[in-house]
Amino acid sequence: MGSLPEDLDRAPLLVEEEAVVELAPMAAPATPADWARRNLFSSWFSGLLTVVVGAGSVYLAYRLLRWVFVTADWTVVKANLRLFMAGRFPEEEIWRVWAVGYLVVFLAGASWGIAATKRAWSPARIVLRLVLLGLLVGTLVYLLEGVRIWLLIGAMAATFAVGIAVGRAGGRRLRLPLGVAWALAFPFVVVILRAFGGVPPRLWGGFVLNVLLAVVGIFLSFPVGILLALGRRSTLPAIRLFSVGFIEFIRGVPLVTLLIFGQFVLPLFLPPGMRLPDIIRAMTMFTIFSAAYVAEIVRGGMQGIPEGQYEAARALGLSTTRMMAMIILPQALRSTIPAMISHFISLFKDTSLIVILGLPELLSLARRAPVNLRFIGREKEALLAAALIFWVLAFSMSRWSQRLERRLGVGER
Amino acid sequence: MAEIEGKAEPTAHLPAETDGQGMIVAEQVKKWFGKFQALKGITTTIRRGEVVVIIGPSGSGKSTFIRCINRLERHDAGQIIVDGIELTDDIRDIHRIRSEIGMVFQSFNLFPHLTVLQNVTLAPRNVRKWPRAEAEQKGMNLLERVGIPEQAHKYPAQLSGGQQQRVAIARALAMEPKIMLFDEPTSALDPEMIKEVLDAMKELARSGMTMVVITHEIGFAKEVADRVLFFDEGQLIEEETPTRFFSQPQHQRTKLFLSQIL
Repeated sequence: MGSLPEDLDRAPLLVEEEAVVELAPMAAPATPADWARRNLFSSWFSGLLTVVVGAGSVYLAYRLLRWVFVTADWTVVKANLRLFMAGRFPEEEIWRVWAVGYLVVFLAGASWGIAATKRAWSPARIVLRLVLLGLLVGTLVYLLEGVRIWLLIGAMAATFAVGIAVGRAGGRRLRLPLGVAWALAFPFVVVILRAFGGVPPRLWGGFVLNVLLAVVGIFLSFPVGILLALGRRSTLPAIRLFSVGFIEFIRGVPLVTLLIFGQFVLPLFLPPGMRLPDIIRAMTMFTIFSAAYVAEIVRGGMQGIPEGQYEAARALGLSTTRMMAMIILPQALRSTIPAMISHFISLFKDTSLIVILGLPELLSLARRAPVNLRFIGREKEALLAAALIFWVLAFSMSRWSQRLERRLGVGER
Repeated sequence: MAEIEGKAEPTAHLPAETDGQGMIVAEQVKKWFGKFQALKGITTTIRRGEVVVIIGPSGSGKSTFIRCINRLERHDAGQIIVDGIELTDDIRDIHRIRSEIGMVFQSFNLFPHLTVLQNVTLAPRNVRKWPRAEAEQKGMNLLERVGIPEQAHKYPAQLSGGQQQRVAIARALAMEPKIMLFDEPTSALDPEMIKEVLDAMKELARSGMTMVVITHEIGFAKEVADRVLFFDEGQLIEEETPTRFFSQPQHQRTKLFLSQIL
């Protein structure tokens, strides 16, 4: 050992450390009036802005709240809630939908738990959480009647909590099993819905259908997209050309066109006489559509990886497959989390486009609900409810991606 | 490593007798980048256990030459034989040769998403198929050898440049290579960190490793090199023992270059 240097880190530093650049000290405002003067009325222009924006906000809030609590009649939502969530799923088979719900909620909880970060609970965060929770519970209290459904909802919340606990306890080790579980969730869901005298796909509908399409689209297009991205960089011309052609064609065509195409073109590739349910065709087209975008996102991430990473991996004797799987993709995918999640959020919202195939997804049901004489003129309520249901899930996904980014950012680069 | 310290100084400069076959044999190696010819026919033989330092101005082809030895660049003409295996387009031969050659880069090229120990054990576990425990044991020994065992569970970004380069050396050594290539290993380092990396390389040289080192560290060349190769404009201009190379260079271009860097 003798010829090796002692660790230089431990040698005392002789250099005087320079003062770190500091922010100009800013005294905490003494009173709310102080705070307002400094932040809202620092000049005549900002004072004017404060007054105008403030008055506008108050007016809008007043009109909105008045409409929500006075003018609007929410019975259209209350009466149609099951229809919105599960479409025309037969009532005696509705337990299948609940079972699917529990499964998805458990997986979502575990995913949430894995991305958990230890952060201090600031008063602002607590207040925000309480307000959101209060709104959610308040809405549910209004919408749901009967002990049974409350027990079911309570059990669902508990399932989510258990999922979080499992995710936290397992941490990073659970990442791969959880990914596999999500990927297997779809066939499993189909079994739950269909098997043992279950419900045929043409009766699936409502928000369940949107979520199902989104989950399938996301989890199938992810690996396909990665393969396409690798294919686009392949040295084999046939694979490269196919990938480029596929990606560029799919990205250049509106999703609606693809969905309609699916009805006519997909059967050409199937053995004669075989008919796929509309929903399977829609899932196929969603997967294809999303894969092209995922491929471009992944390619963007891979372009950010320095050439030296490839060289170091090759110099160690790693095969191309291992180099991609262990060195390049882990880094590339990490840097693409924001773009990827935002693509998946828009894919989720795009599931409402299957209305053009006549599939009874949430938005179309919400639009048709006021056709019933009892609810004439209640389009606004129904649409707003549908929008909120979409929003809750999309917002959760966006929060989850932020947690994931924070979590993965720690100490790694 | 105690046994190598007693090694007598002069023996390092005598050509180590081998079975007549070089560890690396290059025969008329040529390489073009488009119309630019980077290597204009390099012929040399590097023996087992020999430490060769390559110097030369930038763009002289020295880096291209050592990158041809482990096929990071494909040579267009000539012949390269490494440990009896000729480098061809056969991917299995390339993998075999690469796993016998460790390489250290100017910019370290550690894997930023893996810890130091994972960086070191990745290739042994996945290419050599060592069990995890064994790979980690050997990895820790190597980190100790380069003097940074306590950094094993940190990420590369948390280390200084000198420490990162020592990790890179440990990572290359983890495959138990027969040859080590160094492509300007100290050029990206702050001056105060150069010594720690050179010390690790000197220790390695004394342990009998076959080494090809591109460097401008003349002190290092004089101390441990068996031979110095001077490259200019894609040609091997001169090869000599360090003593003669630095005191009585034969060629005009060598003299000019040395006058500029000394």
